[in-house]
Amino acid sequence: MPLMSGLLPRFRDELPFDGLSVAACLHVTAETAVLVRLLRAGGARVSLAASNPLSTQDDIGAALHLDDGIEVFARAGVDRSGYYRHIASAIGDGPDLVVDDGGDLVHTLHTSAAAVLGRVRGGCESTTTGVIRLRRMAADGALAFPVIAANDTPAKRMLDNTCGTGQSVLDGILRATNTLLAGKTVVVAGFGACGAGIASRAAGLGARVIVTEVDPVRALDASLRGYQVLPMALAASLGEVFITATGSVDVVGAAEFERMRDGAILANAGHFDAEIDVRALSAVAVAVHEGVRPHADAYELADGRRLLLLAEGRVVNLVAAEGHPAEVMDLAFGIVALSLVWLAGNAGKLAADVHPVPAGIDAEAARLVLAAMGTQIDVLTPTQQQYLESWRIGS
Amino acid sequence: MTADFQVADLGLAAFGRKEIQLAEHEMPGLMAVRAEYAASQPLRGARITGSLHMTVQTAVLIETLTAIGAQVRWASCNIFSTQDHAAAAVAVGPDGTPDAPSGIPVFAWKGETLGEYWQCTEKALTWPDGAGPNMILDDGGDATLLVHKGAEYEKAGAVPAADEDDPEEWQLILQTLRGSFGKWTAIAGGIKGVTEETTTGVHRLYEMAKAGTLLFPAINVNDSVTKSKFDNKYGCRHSLVDGINRATDVLIGGKVALVCGYGDVGKGCAESLRGQGARVIVTEVDPICALQAAMDGYQVATLEDVVETADIFVTCTGNRDIITAAHMSRMKHQAIVGNIGHFDNEIDMAGLSKWQGVRRENIKPQVDEFMFPDGHGVIVLSEGRLLNLGNATGHPSFVMSNSFTNQVIAQVELFTKPEDYPLGVYTIPKHLDEKVARLHLDALGVRLTQLTKEQAEYIGVPVEGPYKAEQYRY
Repeated sequence: MPLMSGLLPRFRDELPFDGLSVAACLHVTAETAVLVRLLRAGGARVSLAASNPLSTQDDIGAALHLDDGIEVFARAGVDRSGYYRHIASAIGDGPDLVVDDGGDLVHTLHTSAAAVLGRVRGGCESTTTGVIRLRRMAADGALAFPVIAANDTPAKRMLDNTCGTGQSVLDGILRATNTLLAGKTVVVAGFGACGAGIASRAAGLGARVIVTEVDPVRALDASLRGYQVLPMALAASLGEVFITATGSVDVVGAAEFERMRDGAILANAGHFDAEIDVRALSAVAVAVHEGVRPHADAYELADGRRLLLLAEGRVVNLVAAEGHPAEVMDLAFGIVALSLVWLAGNAGKLAADVHPVPAGIDAEAARLVLAAMGTQIDVLTPTQQQYLESWRIGS
Repeated sequence: MTADFQVADLGLAAFGRKEIQLAEHEMPGLMAVRAEYAASQPLRGARITGSLHMTVQTAVLIETLTAIGAQVRWASCNIFSTQDHAAAAVAVGPDGTPDAPSGIPVFAWKGETLGEYWQCTEKALTWPDGAGPNMILDDGGDATLLVHKGAEYEKAGAVPAADEDDPEEWQLILQTLRGSFGKWTAIAGGIKGVTEETTTGVHRLYEMAKAGTLLFPAINVNDSVTKSKFDNKYGCRHSLVDGINRATDVLIGGKVALVCGYGDVGKGCAESLRGQGARVIVTEVDPICALQAAMDGYQVATLEDVVETADIFVTCTGNRDIITAAHMSRMKHQAIVGNIGHFDNEIDMAGLSKWQGVRRENIKPQVDEFMFPDGHGVIVLSEGRLLNLGNATGHPSFVMSNSFTNQVIAQVELFTKPEDYPLGVYTIPKHLDEKVARLHLDALGVRLTQLTKEQAEYIGVPVEGPYKAEQYRY
């Protein structure tokens, strides 16, 4: 993670978080370890809870706790109440800044931990699902502090959602099933930045990709890129692999299960396990053969068909594979770290709302990544700069 | 005395010459062959009749053949594919003027009638002294067919009468042979061999060899790797969408395109349409090619499945009756129908014209909308003939340099080593196929790695090639 490594000496020197506490709710992975250690090096007192009960790598959590003095509250396979207890522990008596992934920590702060809400100056949300949730909170007037939507910068969308999710979701499906995708019909639900990346990588592996969408603009984009776009009701009977990436709920449910082909594979790439209606699947199944392969459960239906659910419907790239490659998280967390530094100095000037990452931070992060890759780019000449800023020069 | 050539307009020669000069730069294989054989003139004494699309690239081929010693007469092998400026430039020649042409006898113009087409082919096969060629360079096998059928009917004593059901073209062939009865046996006897450019013609040659009716040896240029893989796949990949764009300017992105046939041509066509953002569906009869298409991520369906929903139909099967008038009667309004297979029988144009109540509306040259009584129209490109040649300019020069370098090498082989090629159909030896590729690497800045002696021994090939076994499929 060369970007983060490059920031480390700078944070050590400048101590941007001197005297501040940061509570983080993130997937407990090696990449997250690099982020929280960077925050710690910048002077923060850091506590960490998992943002998903299945994605915790226990060795990482232990190492952060023992070696780096970070308060870690995470254990793989923890149940729902344990999961929220961990988040409450990470919140403790109220952090100055928060880093969230999915919005569970921020939500907890506004509900069961509301007593300490007043201490929080601001936060960063690193995933789209969380941002959608925060925007709804802000619209309801419920959000109590400014949050930077670090999920959504142009640079991050490219690298993280399109490339990172695109690659690692396919990795997760391959590891969980070892199925050949060439010649298969893959239904990708949702053609946002993630879905577009998943679709292009599935097509690159030789799959025939069908896209489902609700947004006409995204659907048109998918059509113009050559994908067949169908309502899920029609795609359900055609697909051999279904990948949900909508950020929505009940994308495939009982009506779809009824139409699916024997052996259809169901995987979710969205943040929450709500996109595939697992409860409905359990309800229609006459038997569940758990763990036919690691992270693959076969749901047997009354007519003998079996549907293969991956990762219990949770985010497949993190559960069945290793999440995003480090390069992706390097940029994503670099933006989070730089945004937190900016928040430490500017949170007081911001309204309690969801704010975009300042463009300068995105450019700085991209510049650091390019430098690490050894890629050189052009610099505008003063004449070009002037031309672009002027409206007086025409044909 | 009338001039010994027939083209649309000699005034186009200067433009044609400029394009020929541009093409020469893009045809490094042919130019290298010219240089290699400049001194030895291996085709001295060769009288070559060419029947091959009279384009700018073909002009570079023709002038390569003459540069290494051959006499040449030429006709196009398609009524629409001639580029009139190229034909004019060839007739005028590099040193002539429109007032004093000094090029080679070429009989070709864009938009020949079928009758004119077969007359042109006959003229290309007939030297001013009445003698025939001693070599044929064929594309689709029409020149070879005329010679074989002529000789066959002369042996039988007469040209048969046409059946009423025979296609118009067959009636015209018989008419041509009737008018030239008596000369074909001698012409056939003087021919040392034919080099055939395309799948369709190669298919005919193998059929004749199998039936024992082949009269002279043939080299199948089509199946050189540097021809079929390049011309068929990369050439069509380039020129298919070019033809569709020039004909219709319809946005291909988002459209459903049906590609009938997933051979080399179909693979190139599917890739280019997908590259433009179309959703491509493939039809196939061969389970291997069908599986290949599926593995490449294409939906494989039958024409019946999608005839009512596809926007663009492209035939490249080498077979007949792929898209029938009944299919077209069910298509979407303004569905685009085109063929990139060699012959015009993949789309049933005759059936379409005869369809009850169909009205033909010409939109521009080589673009017609056939209006059905129910109000829907189908846009047919190039009257069902090769749309990449009829609506665009065929394969680009670089691709044609590969296949034409094979042609020249095949002509030199057959003409100079007849003892190596007794009656039969041959492919070009692999070392010559590799040579064609080698001649094109420098122009692309390709840096080839050289085998060490140890590496060559390890895999059991000579350091200088050939590198692959005959059965290797590339």
